[in-house]
Amino acid sequence: PVNFLRFRIFSPRRFRSSTVKECIHAILKENLANVQYNPEETPQLTRSLSDAIKDRLKEEGFHRYKMVVQVVIGEQRGEGVNMAARCFWDADTDNYAQDVFMNDSLFCVVAAFGCFYY
Amino acid sequence: MDFLKCMIFNAEEAHNIVKECIEGILGKVDYNHNKVNQWTATIVEQSLTHLVKLGKTYKYIVTCAVMQKSGAGLHTASSCFWDTTTDGTCTVRWENRTMNCIVNVFAIAVVL
Repeated sequence: PVNFLRFRIFSPRRFRSSTVKECIHAILKENLANVQYNPEETPQLTRSLSDAIKDRLKEEGFHRYKMVVQVVIGEQRGEGVNMAARCFWDADTDNYAQDVFMNDSLFCVVAAFGCFYY
Repeated sequence: MDFLKCMIFNAEEAHNIVKECIEGILGKVDYNHNKVNQWTATIVEQSLTHLVKLGKTYKYIVTCAVMQKSGAGLHTASSCFWDTTTDGTCTVRWENRTMNCIVNVFAIAVVL
C-alpha cells in the first residue's frame, strides 16, 4: 500500500489529461488539416488515426496503464450530434483526455481513456 | 470454474443491457436538439449502472453518440492497449426514423 500511495503522488508517468491532449491534438492537426470528407476513404482514415494515437500514447510510456482510444469522424452538414461518456473506475489513478478537430467538411472527436492496473 | 467465468467479459449480455437502455430512452422519441444532451447522459448512466450490477471485477467505460439523420456520414474506430484474454468491448448500433445511436462499452478487468 505504501508503494501504491507513492505512485499516486509522485509518478511522472501518470496518465495526465494535458499531456495526452497535446499528443492527440498534434496528431489530428498533422493528419486532418486539409482533408475533405470522403465516404470511401474516411473509414480507413478513422482506423489509422486511432491506431496512430494509441501507438503514440504507448511511446509516452504511461506505466501500468491500459488504454482505450476512440475516434469519431463525421461529415459537417449542419446535423446535430451529441456524445457522452461515463466511466466506472478509480478516479485517483484513471483519467481521460479528449480533443475535437473541425474543418469545413468534417469534424473529429477523439477520446482517450487510461486505466491503471494494480 | 466460477472464478474463470467471472473473469470473462460477456459481450452478448452487455449488448442486451445496452440495447434495452437505448430502446427505453429513444424508442418513442424523435430527434430534439434540446433534449439530446439529457438522453445521451441517461443512456450512459443507465447502461453503466446495469453493467456494474452484474457484480464483476471490471472497470467500465461507456460512450454514446447520437446523431441526427441527415444523410451525413459518421465513422467511429477504437484502438485498445490491454489484455485481450480478460478485457473486452461491445458496440451497439441503433436507429430510428430521425437519429442514429452508437454505444460503445469497454470493460477492463481489475486484477488485484
